[in-house]
Amino acid sequence: MMLIPCPFCGKRNESEFIFGGPVVAARPDPNAVSDAEWVEYLTIAPNPLGPVQEKWWHARGCGEWLTIWRDTRTHDIVEAPNGSE
Amino acid sequence: MSYDIQITRQSLNALFDLKGASAAIESWAGNALPNLPDQPNSRTEKEAVELYHIGRDHWIARAPVGQEEALEARLKPNDCPADVSIVRISDTLTFFRVTGSQAGEVMAIACPLDLHDSQFGDDTVTYTDLFGLKALVMRCKDGYELAIEQSFGDMVEDYLARATA
Repeated sequence: MMLIPCPFCGKRNESEFIFGGPVVAARPDPNAVSDAEWVEYLTIAPNPLGPVQEKWWHARGCGEWLTIWRDTRTHDIVEAPNGSE
Repeated sequence: MSYDIQITRQSLNALFDLKGASAAIESWAGNALPNLPDQPNSRTEKEAVELYHIGRDHWIARAPVGQEEALEARLKPNDCPADVSIVRISDTLTFFRVTGSQAGEVMAIACPLDLHDSQFGDDTVTYTDLFGLKALVMRCKDGYELAIEQSFGDMVEDYLARATA
């Protein structure tokens, strides 16, 4: 079980949330990048062994969208790695 | 095992969903509502009208159904300014009361919230997961009160009966 920190409600059980996918890079201008870079943007989701930034929706709570860093090895919610927002 | 509880389905309430910045709502509603609760997931009450702070810039006003027309006349949802949204939702939620000495044990089956006094006070009101559904949960005399989307009323009544059978 994960306790996810909602900025409005505080820590809540993960069953109140819906996973919103990993945070991905900003959409590039398709005319300004190569085909390979465009395909990579469209099809490759971040899937690291370690901290990954994810979006979650507090759907069965206050309705807030939030972003957390989760360690994929432990499910612990962790601080953003150095240099990350 | 059976539990020492009573499950009571409530009759309709007058309910209004309010969205907008607190200053804008206070300015529009005037003294039709209690003071807006300043803490997340808390409630205030004045003259049988309760106000629940259930999300960022989001409140629910609740009153006895007999006051619905009078409250609507004071809130004027059809005339409110663009930065405020007021919608009558009286028909959308079904309320239940779970009361009795073991009400907390039954609620522990139904939802993942920590409902101990130290974590869930008398003025706490919050949406949470209840049997997999979005539900409003708060304390009432001798137990807990919960509200779920109206069309799930019969199903939740059955879930509660099975949980306590």
